[in-house]
Amino acid sequence: MDRRTVLKGLAGAGTLAAAGGLSMPALSQGAVARTLRFVPQADLANFDPIWGTQYVVRNAAALVWDTLYGFDDKLQPQRQMVESEEVSSDGLTWTFRLRSGLKFHDGEPVLAKDAVASLARWSARDPQGQTIKAMQNELVAVDDRTFKWVLKAPFPKMLVALAKNNAPCSFIMPERIAQTDPFKQITEYVGSGPMKFARNEWVPGAKSVFEKFTDYVPRQEPSSWLAGGKHMLLDRIEWVTIPDPATAAAALQNGEIDWWENPIPDLVPVLKKNKNVAVDIADPLGNIGVFRMNHTHPPFDNVKIRRAVLTALSQEDYMRALVGDDNALWKPLPSFFAPNTPLYSEEGGDILKQRNIDAAKKLLAEAGYANEPVSCIVAQDQPITKAQGDVTADLLKRMGMNVDFVATDWGTVGARRAQKTPHNQGGWEMFHTWHAGADCISPIGYAAIRGTGDKAWWGWPTSEKVEAEVSAWFAAKSLDEEKASIGRLNKAAMEDVIYAPTGFFLSYTAWRKNVSGIVKGPLPFMWGVSKTA
Amino acid sequence: MSASTTSSVAIPPGLAIAKALPDLMLPVKVRRGVIGFLRNNPTVAIGGALLLTLVLIGIFAPYLWTVDPTALAPAKRTRPPSADYWFGTDALGRDVYSRVLYGTRVSLTVGLSVALLATLAGLAIGLVSGFVRWADGIVMRVMDGLMSIPPILLAIALMALTRGSVGNVIMAITVAEIPRVSRLVRGVVLSLREQAYVDAAIASGTRAPMIILRHILPNTMAPMLVQATYVCASAMIVESILSFIGAGTPPTIPSWGNIMAEGRALWQVKPYIVFFPAAFLSVTVLAVNLVGDGLRDALDPRMAKNL
Amino acid sequence: MASYVLRRILVTIPVMAIVALFVFSLLYIAPGDPAAVIAGDQASPADVERIRQSLGLDRPFLVQFGSWLWRILHFDLGTSIFTNLPVTSMIAQRIEPTLSLMMLTLVLTLVIAVPLGVVAAWKAGSLIDRVIMAFAVSAFSLPVFVVGYVLAYVFALELEWFPVQGYTPISQGFWPWLQNLILPSIALGCVYIALIARITRASMLEVLQQDYIRTARAKGLGQRGILFVHALKNAAVPIVTVIGIGVALLIGGAVVTESVFAIPGLGRLTVDAILRRDYPVIQGVVLMFSFLYTLVNLMVDLTYTLIDPRIRY
Repeated sequence: MDRRTVLKGLAGAGTLAAAGGLSMPALSQGAVARTLRFVPQADLANFDPIWGTQYVVRNAAALVWDTLYGFDDKLQPQRQMVESEEVSSDGLTWTFRLRSGLKFHDGEPVLAKDAVASLARWSARDPQGQTIKAMQNELVAVDDRTFKWVLKAPFPKMLVALAKNNAPCSFIMPERIAQTDPFKQITEYVGSGPMKFARNEWVPGAKSVFEKFTDYVPRQEPSSWLAGGKHMLLDRIEWVTIPDPATAAAALQNGEIDWWENPIPDLVPVLKKNKNVAVDIADPLGNIGVFRMNHTHPPFDNVKIRRAVLTALSQEDYMRALVGDDNALWKPLPSFFAPNTPLYSEEGGDILKQRNIDAAKKLLAEAGYANEPVSCIVAQDQPITKAQGDVTADLLKRMGMNVDFVATDWGTVGARRAQKTPHNQGGWEMFHTWHAGADCISPIGYAAIRGTGDKAWWGWPTSEKVEAEVSAWFAAKSLDEEKASIGRLNKAAMEDVIYAPTGFFLSYTAWRKNVSGIVKGPLPFMWGVSKTA
Repeated sequence: MSASTTSSVAIPPGLAIAKALPDLMLPVKVRRGVIGFLRNNPTVAIGGALLLTLVLIGIFAPYLWTVDPTALAPAKRTRPPSADYWFGTDALGRDVYSRVLYGTRVSLTVGLSVALLATLAGLAIGLVSGFVRWADGIVMRVMDGLMSIPPILLAIALMALTRGSVGNVIMAITVAEIPRVSRLVRGVVLSLREQAYVDAAIASGTRAPMIILRHILPNTMAPMLVQATYVCASAMIVESILSFIGAGTPPTIPSWGNIMAEGRALWQVKPYIVFFPAAFLSVTVLAVNLVGDGLRDALDPRMAKNL
Repeated sequence: MASYVLRRILVTIPVMAIVALFVFSLLYIAPGDPAAVIAGDQASPADVERIRQSLGLDRPFLVQFGSWLWRILHFDLGTSIFTNLPVTSMIAQRIEPTLSLMMLTLVLTLVIAVPLGVVAAWKAGSLIDRVIMAFAVSAFSLPVFVVGYVLAYVFALELEWFPVQGYTPISQGFWPWLQNLILPSIALGCVYIALIARITRASMLEVLQQDYIRTARAKGLGQRGILFVHALKNAAVPIVTVIGIGVALLIGGAVVTESVFAIPGLGRLTVDAILRRDYPVIQGVVLMFSFLYTLVNLMVDLTYTLIDPRIRY
């Protein structure tokens, strides 16, 4: 026990002696034991999970709002707020029936019209939702607990779209909140999830507080990621933003915080040595590092130059820069999909397996590279993009390309990558980001793999081959057919170089040993987590 | 004087020649020239020597057993100091020793440039403000306004407007430092203007530029020189803070602030990444401060009670 | 006296106006489009334009400045782009930690630095003097965050005397509040202590050579009496000046200290806002800090009249 606990214990004993009662220390320790102090991966500056798609917003939203369906740990959609669903024989009408007894934090019951309004707002922003909305005939509440979604064409992946855990998730909000313009932030944070958001204690940039919602009715099934019963064993959760990783590590060792979502790999050995701290892989689905190119103007509008990058790229360099010396934390990734998932394929990925700078230089010469500048927009405040950016500057220089390194912040990257102009008019040629592996399992929710040109994700790649395979996957009727089409998709994406994956990496999560119930998953699940004093 | 004297004058009876008094007032050894100045003012000597060493390190960095400071080797990251890597390697496998030595260039360039530019600009503004009465009010209000914004915040805000580059960092810090210099110069000008000889010069028709050149400037030299050294020291620290926050020189150019910023997360496990640039920065700032203190004590110790 | 105070206050108004204009123009000419950032990844150019209009970003400069100024005078500092909360409430939430840190640092500095400077002046030329001045000049040269890290490592992590990070409001107890702030105050105060000690020594040195000190000594006054009653009071003017100017140092250093010790104060808020281009917050905080700084210097000017009766404007 460390000094502070001893002192606290002594103080408790002192009060005990004074009060003469045996229950006092247990109570005070109990109160502490039901509060969890958590350090999230980023600061929770805003809290609208449909408007803001950052991971941290989604993670916090999962506490406050509930979804109709949720992925379990096998990535299968399971019912959550829905009691039963029905598809008409022609596949065009989906009828959903909500569970009974669902309540919002303000005491109001959850009604079908709330679900309808929430889905309307979600489908205005989510790419998958937009697809559904485009082929929608009507989305309407039938009675207080039933609503239906009538489509113009069958959409067999409806449940997957509703259950997916990548942002924006289809969180169900009260109708009045869901009627907020999808391009404006909501101002009220009322949901039907297992925790309430303590708005009055929120200090954006520093602290967010969640309190247990006692009227939450969990499902009977055992909890599994976003599916099953969400039993909340904590009374209060505090999300504390600690910007300096060294400080966060010290705070975890000292017991000032209980759970650190994203310890940096270099500090993990120190944490592992501490007998009060446990460390484990956070999410087996990991992350994929991304080197995203702009396909609309030189030099990366030339597929040969894009392939030159793939040839010269060393995934080991990128991954080591990201995760350090721990080999358990990274894998080479000759693919655009997350390893250990049902559809994973390495077809066409040989180009990434071995770096060859000379071959790359030859390709560049063949392609007629005329020393066009490559402006690399690299966010310095995100360790993942910063590390990748440094490696890229080195890589492109070695290839003999003309590098214009723009060191900036994540917010500016977000604004600038939306510009289609050439770099000297405020545009860009490449930027770095990363995708959670959970978002790279299938074409659903994987906007970054699409080749729809102007409508595609930043970089606007055009690839008919990729799009053909995406349609094939949507129409596939069996797992084998799906696998085959994903294999061909991977190959097509490699040939057209939709983007350059820089490798597959995992991250750790660390918690104090008096906290139990932490499971591996794509987000930090707080139900089932408990703490002893 | 000797203990006894012989005198050609006859000594009247009853009197004796007084014993020679001990020599209380030893002649002061007048030390002339630069060497003499340095011996008289050891702080300037020490500080100057340190500074000179660092400038030489910066200039001759490529020849001091360094490698390319931007060459990364992620396979060899965060190695502790050893025979191959005198200061160890950083998170991307770059040699910290080389980065620190090359970083000397950036930090010294920023410090000296800001000192020079801020002094020149402050001199110009202070002169105008001191001489041209109607401009004084406006200019000083603007300077006061600028001074009201804490310099770090001002520098960060200015950096937020532009891309990170050494030039922009120099400009941003210079803007933050100009008000103090201009205030100083204005103070000197105002006090000198009241002097009789300046009055006389104006009365006898000497034009303003001549007055400035012959009377004002020589008197501002000393306090400005001292102030310039403080500006230099302050600029180097501000640069390191800017880099620490991420609003400073771009990461492709090693500067002490950059190296420390990149190593800050690993401080507990690999302290050498932060320690070596911190040591170099502290020593350099110390050297500049010593030079400033020494010059101030030599030129006018009364300045010690003003900033 | 009253007219002096009034005049001093009146003078601050144009200064603040200049600051306001500067702060506003700064962000007006900034590159990057807050409307695009707000609109987010999936928005179309039409959406961005809609947002720009709703923010009023398409009106001419003077109109925007005018309406902004009008709101400022009503203490409405606008709404943060990222959190959608009023800037005034965001500042109010985070002002206590920063003010606490600055005040504690100030108190610590005065308690340590002034006696150090006095002793150094009193024993001018001796070993103690040299040691104190050597320490002062060294402490002046250390970067704040390095001091912070060393203190955190030694006293918080290894010795466990103090917590590593965080802030406890004073409403939850004086000792917990103090515990969280001691290490950050020392880190922040290093430079300040060195500065004040040096200025105190220099100012005291000059005063100690004056005739009236010799008279006091001849009168038989004790050393302590001379030092603290006569000499210090006369030496106080430059010291107080530097304290005022040094507040700017404190604000700047607070930014770094708050980051290292995870104190949820205004410094961190500012840095976050600047890196995110959250314009209303940047404007609000810079204005606030400038106002604070001007206020401090006003109080410094007023203190002059208390210390030195000769200063009566």
